[in-house]
Amino acid sequence: MSRSIFVRGALPSAVGLMLVAAPHVLSIVQTRMLTEIAYFALFAVSYNFLFGWAGLLSFGHAAYFGLGAYVTAISLKHVAGLHLLAGMGLGTLAAAFGGIVIGFFCVRRKGSYFALLTLAFNQFLWAIAWKWREVTGGDDGIGGIIPKKPVDLGFFHLDLGSITNKYYFTMSIVVICLAIGWYLLRTPFGNTIQAVKVNEERAAFIGYNVNRSKLIIFTLAALYAGIAGSLFALFQDFVATSAIGLGMSTEVLFMAFLGGTGSYFGPILGAAIFVYFTDWISSMTEHWEFFLGVLFIVLVLYFHQGFIGLIPSKLRAVFRAEE
Amino acid sequence: MELTLSSVVIQALHGLVYAMLLFLVASGLTLVFGMMDVLNIAHAAFYMLGAYLGSTILVVTGSFWLALILAPIGLGLLGALVERFFLRKVHVHGHAFELLITFGVFFVVGEVVKWIWGNFPRPMDPPGILSGSVNWMGITYPAYRYFILVISALVLMGLGYVFMRTRLGIAIRAAVSDASMVNALGINVPRLFLGVFSGGTALAGLAGVVAGPFLGTYPGMGLDMMVDTFVVVVVGGFGSLLGAFVASLMIGELQSFGILFIPRLALVFQFLLMAIVLITRPTGLFGEKV
Repeated sequence: MSRSIFVRGALPSAVGLMLVAAPHVLSIVQTRMLTEIAYFALFAVSYNFLFGWAGLLSFGHAAYFGLGAYVTAISLKHVAGLHLLAGMGLGTLAAAFGGIVIGFFCVRRKGSYFALLTLAFNQFLWAIAWKWREVTGGDDGIGGIIPKKPVDLGFFHLDLGSITNKYYFTMSIVVICLAIGWYLLRTPFGNTIQAVKVNEERAAFIGYNVNRSKLIIFTLAALYAGIAGSLFALFQDFVATSAIGLGMSTEVLFMAFLGGTGSYFGPILGAAIFVYFTDWISSMTEHWEFFLGVLFIVLVLYFHQGFIGLIPSKLRAVFRAEE
Repeated sequence: MELTLSSVVIQALHGLVYAMLLFLVASGLTLVFGMMDVLNIAHAAFYMLGAYLGSTILVVTGSFWLALILAPIGLGLLGALVERFFLRKVHVHGHAFELLITFGVFFVVGEVVKWIWGNFPRPMDPPGILSGSVNWMGITYPAYRYFILVISALVLMGLGYVFMRTRLGIAIRAAVSDASMVNALGINVPRLFLGVFSGGTALAGLAGVVAGPFLGTYPGMGLDMMVDTFVVVVVGGFGSLLGAFVASLMIGELQSFGILFIPRLALVFQFLLMAIVLITRPTGLFGEKV
C-alpha cells in the first residue's frame, strides 16, 4: 500500500522536477541530447506496443515515424499561415492512416510473414520519399520547417528558436503521450492485446476479434510513432530520407531491445542508452555501428530482458504500479 | 527509344537475366525457410559478402573462376558457424528471436564489409572469355549475361536433382514435413539443419559473385537484393520454389519494361505488384497455407 502511494506520488514528482530543472542545470549539448532521447523514447515505446504487448515483430516501424516527420514538414512549409500544432496534427494523422492501411495487410500474417511485409512497405515509402523530389526534396530533404515568428499557443507565445523551449515543448508532449499510453494499456483493450500475444487461438475462441485488436494496436503504434516523427522534424528543423529509411527502423528496434521489451519503461531506458552509447562510441571509432550490432547480438543471445533486466528485481518492484 | 522487335527482345533478356539472378538468391532463402521455418534476413548480407569476397579473390588470384568456387565455400563455412553458434542457441526461445538473430547477423556482416572494403563501390570485371558480346539470332548481347542465365539454370537443375533423386534430398524433404520423426529414424537432424543452412549461405555467396560483374559490388547491394527477394517470397508464396521462380520472372520483366515506359515509378514496381497480389491472393501465387 505504502509503495503504491510512493509510486503514484513521490516518484513521478521527483522525476518531473528533474525534467523541469534539466535545461537550467545541463549544458546546451546535453539538453539537446535529452530532447533527442525524449522523442526517441516515445518512438521506442510505440515500437514496443507492437512487440512487447502484441508480440508483433516489425522491421518497418520507421515508415510511420517518417510519415509523421515528412507530412509535418511539408504542410508547415507549403501551407501559408498553418499553425504549428495543426502541422503536427496532420503529420500524426498521416502516420495513423498509413498504420491502418499497411496494418490491414500485415496483421493477418504471423511471424516471418508479418516481419517481411512491414519491411517491404517501409522500403516502398522510402522509395517514394527518395524519388518524389518535387514534394520531398529527395536526398536533399526539407529544411527550414520551424515558423520564424513565435507560435501562438493560446495562453502564451512559444519561440522554438531556443533549445530550452524546444526541450520543454518536446518533453511535455512526450510525457503526456507516455502517460496516456500507460493508461491505455491498462484498459480492457490492453488485456485483450496481451491475451492475443499469449495465445491467439484461445483469444479467438473466447470471442475476441484478434485481427481487429491487432489492427488497433498497430494503428496506435503508428500514431505514436508519427507524433515522435513530427517532434523529430521540429527538433532537427530538417527531414530527409534517413527519417523513413530502414536504418531508422533498425535503430528503434535496437532501442527497444537494449532497454527491454518486457516492460513499459524498458524502451525509454533503451532510447537513453542508445543515444548516449552511440554518442560515446562514435567518438571513439568510426566503425561504431559494428559494435552496436555486436551488442545487439549479445542481447538477443543472453539478455532477453535488455538492460532493464540488469536492475535488481527488488529495485524494479518499486516501479511496478500493481501488486 | 524506338520499339523495334530486337529492342523488345533485348529488354526481355535484361528482365530475364535479373529474374534468374533474383531466383538464385531467393532459392537459398526459400530452401532455408522451407527446412527450418526461419526467414533468414542475413541471407542478403551473405550475398553481399560473397560479392566482395569474390572481388578480392579476383584481384589477388586474377581468376574469376577461382572466385566463383572459393567465395561460396568460404560463405558456406561462415553459414555453418552462424547456424551452430547463433541460430541454434536461440531456437528454444522461439520464432521472434530467430528472426532477430539473423537480423543482427545481417547488420554486423554489413558493417564488417564496410570496415574491410570501405563504404564505396568496387568495380568487378567479368573474365576475359565472357567480356565480349555474343551475336546470336541477329541480336547482340553481352556474353556475361548469358553466363548468368546458364549458371542459374545449372544450379537450379542441380538443386532439383539433389532434392528429387538423392537420399540426402529425401531426408531434407522429410525433415521439412516432420523433423522429429526423421530424427527418430536415426537421421541426425541438427546436422541436416547445419548442412542446409550452410548450403543456403553458399548459394547466397555464389549469387553474390555472379552478380558482381553484372550489378557491381556496392554497400547497398545487400539491402536492395533483400527487398526484392522478400517481394519474390510474398508474391510467389512462402516456401514454394516454383512460386519463387514465377515471381522472379514477373519482377524482372516488370522492372525491365517498366523503367522503359514509366521511368518515374522505377523504384516501386515490385511493391505495386506485391500490393496487387496481396489484395487478390493473400497467400501468394503458389502459397497454400495462410
